[in-house]
Amino acid sequence: MKELTISSDAPGERLFVLGNEAIARGAIEAGVQVAAAYPGTPSSEILETLAGVAKELDIYVEWSTNEKVAFEVALAASICGVRAMACMKHVGVNVAHDALIMASYLGAKGGLVLLSADDPWAWSSQNEQDSRYIAEQGYIPILEPSSVQEAKDMMAHAFELSEEFKHLFIVRSVTRIGHARSDIVLGEMSRERRRGYFKKDPSWLVYTPVQARKNKPLMLERFEKIGKAVNTLPYNQLRLADRAKLGVIACGLSYSYTLEAVKWLGIEDQVSILKIGTPHPLPKELVVKLLNSVGEILVVEELEPFVELHVKAIAGEANIPVKIHGKDLVPVIGELSTRKVTEAIARLTDSKPPVDFAELDKLEQETAPLLPWRPPALCPGCPHRASFYAIKLAAKKVAREHGKDVEPIYPGDIGCYDLAYNPPLEAVDIQICMGGSFGIANGLAHVVEAPIIAHLGDSTFFHAGIPPLIDAVYNKANITMVILDNSATAMTGFQPHPGTGYTATGDETIQLKIEDIARACGVKFVEVIDPFDLKKATETIEKAIRFDGPAVIVSRKLCTVIELREKRERKEKVIPYYIDQDKCNIKCDACIELLGCPAILKQDGKTIIDSSLCTGCGICAQICPYKAIIEEKE
Amino acid sequence: MIKEFNILISGVGGQGVILMSELLGKAAVKEGLKIRGSEVLGMAVRGGSVTSIIRIGDEVYGPLIPLGKCDTLIGMEPSEALRNITYLSKSSLVILNTAATIPFTVSLGQSKYPSLEEILEKLGNASGRIIKLDAAQTAQQAGSSLTTNIVMLGALFGTELLPISIETIKESIQARFPAKIAPVNIKAFELGYQACHRALK
Repeated sequence: MKELTISSDAPGERLFVLGNEAIARGAIEAGVQVAAAYPGTPSSEILETLAGVAKELDIYVEWSTNEKVAFEVALAASICGVRAMACMKHVGVNVAHDALIMASYLGAKGGLVLLSADDPWAWSSQNEQDSRYIAEQGYIPILEPSSVQEAKDMMAHAFELSEEFKHLFIVRSVTRIGHARSDIVLGEMSRERRRGYFKKDPSWLVYTPVQARKNKPLMLERFEKIGKAVNTLPYNQLRLADRAKLGVIACGLSYSYTLEAVKWLGIEDQVSILKIGTPHPLPKELVVKLLNSVGEILVVEELEPFVELHVKAIAGEANIPVKIHGKDLVPVIGELSTRKVTEAIARLTDSKPPVDFAELDKLEQETAPLLPWRPPALCPGCPHRASFYAIKLAAKKVAREHGKDVEPIYPGDIGCYDLAYNPPLEAVDIQICMGGSFGIANGLAHVVEAPIIAHLGDSTFFHAGIPPLIDAVYNKANITMVILDNSATAMTGFQPHPGTGYTATGDETIQLKIEDIARACGVKFVEVIDPFDLKKATETIEKAIRFDGPAVIVSRKLCTVIELREKRERKEKVIPYYIDQDKCNIKCDACIELLGCPAILKQDGKTIIDSSLCTGCGICAQICPYKAIIEEKE
Repeated sequence: MIKEFNILISGVGGQGVILMSELLGKAAVKEGLKIRGSEVLGMAVRGGSVTSIIRIGDEVYGPLIPLGKCDTLIGMEPSEALRNITYLSKSSLVILNTAATIPFTVSLGQSKYPSLEEILEKLGNASGRIIKLDAAQTAQQAGSSLTTNIVMLGALFGTELLPISIETIKESIQARFPAKIAPVNIKAFELGYQACHRALK
């Protein structure tokens, strides 16, 4: 029997998948024809899954340069009658915001779905952010799944809903959906493949003030129809309990915690539950029914009190005297859990949780001081470590000449290199968003007297680094911009980008050179360095910092993870380094204190290199004052 | 009805924690079981702490194990097992790989690594039973140090607590690895199984 895969046409069969694979499967079942995205945890595996089956299923799949472009690619396909989607993490939605709001005015022809992956607790993000507010601002309906199975079902259905109501739909995932694992039951796969047709219609597609005024009422009309239809969608379900005094309104994933909480407390017959799968617009009829049936309400949702405020508005409008709780009992920060929901429900029902949470909190506090700090770190052999070492060495030298109080400033960006903010490198002074390093550096240049050396990665450069680079040239900002080019979008799983020479589906394409772009933008100092040649790299960076005007350094070395993978394929051996204990001065510690490489350890009073971790980059050997670090012989 | 059974696997990026969950999940689905779970990826894979959760049972809904409701904690690394102590109760079983992975912050003098005795004492007080294994050494014995995770997976099955048959999980392992290295992994699984089985007798 052939093994089941994500592209198997096998309705009714069960498959064990990652949530993001389930979301991709939903789009496959709907017959999606165009999918575009920019990588971002926790969303990246969706497009990766689609890219893997793109040729087999005749789907156009692309990694776009950024989320705005990705969304516009999908929007264009929808306008031409083709089913299309864009996926991105929550902060990516901010990048796409401009186009997104306009898409709501346009509506959809071919089913158009935006997948936003929110990240409560900011597991892999710079913030927590609730995309439901962006949807509200743009009159965009949202579907929010409570399980991996429902994520697949909603995704497939969203394309149909989008065509039925001629409007864009958002599916809001969260980390514990996208990175959850579950069995799912596969559905039917649409084999329909449409030909895109662009019909010229300026009154619909060209947005002058006149068109905006004409189309806004149409948008509102569409949204009102959706508002009525959500009451009967299967994702919203009201279960009234006979003896209930409390009603719980549980949105998305919170529904799963709510079911477990009432079971845990043993009060299934005392709590009415309204499961919400469409937080925007809310199923008003169901909400009113619940509000009328109980004396107290608890709204359970992750992040902001979005549903809570709408429920309060509905209660006020309908004049229903019911006490509504939400963020007074359920945290606004972080992910929810069965524990958090259990505690909130227990307080409102005078029931007792079967586990003594206070005892567990005490145990956690007692244990915490024993635990070693294990932050994520740059990998052994990571070229970024060498780049930062060279940057700091050069910058400090120049800064000292400006005065002993002058400190260089290092604006950083989003990617693996973020990890260099930790000691000992401490090479990130400010980091806010994609491309922000160069933008912030521009501003700093006009208000402070210090060397400013900003850095970002290659993929980030293409995403949002070019406009601020041009800004530096145009407005004569005296800054050094370093592009850490490891030929991959490494943090999110090594996706290709315009600098790698191949596309999402593995086709060869033009390989853009960052140095060519910098020169074409008018930068007069552009140099490419090899960060593993520390001496030369440091000298070149020093020249860049001394250069009068914006300067660009491209620090180019393939990501070590990819390098090792390729070496294995070529059956090439990795030759690690070792420390000659006769030469090593145990009091020195330069290698440990300057580099923070996970392969260099203290063991039994000696400094050693773990040969199973060492990748043979040789940076430590270059900086050892005693020449005690030596390459092993084959 | 299949009763709720919660497994938490804790370790360090690079130890193959996620692969263990995948193998478990695939085998469980083959047996017709309902599965829920989740993991933290992204930042965490760069040498940081990794946890993966697998929950089996007809009335399991959420992707996370409620505190105090972990049935089996698989500690791929002692301090990482300790980090998840609040999931344990007196009816929990801990299977612990005793080989420590010391984080670089210890070399930098920014944090301390607790002694194995301290870790065992804490885990012992919080759980019902601990089974200690030198999984790295057992993996060597099987033929490859890369099979430590499969040794620990074998140990999990050695408890005979799971509603998944040995044949099914072995099929999953066979299917996951290339023909050349599948036998080493099967051997690792068997050694882990036996070690745990012996310890429980």
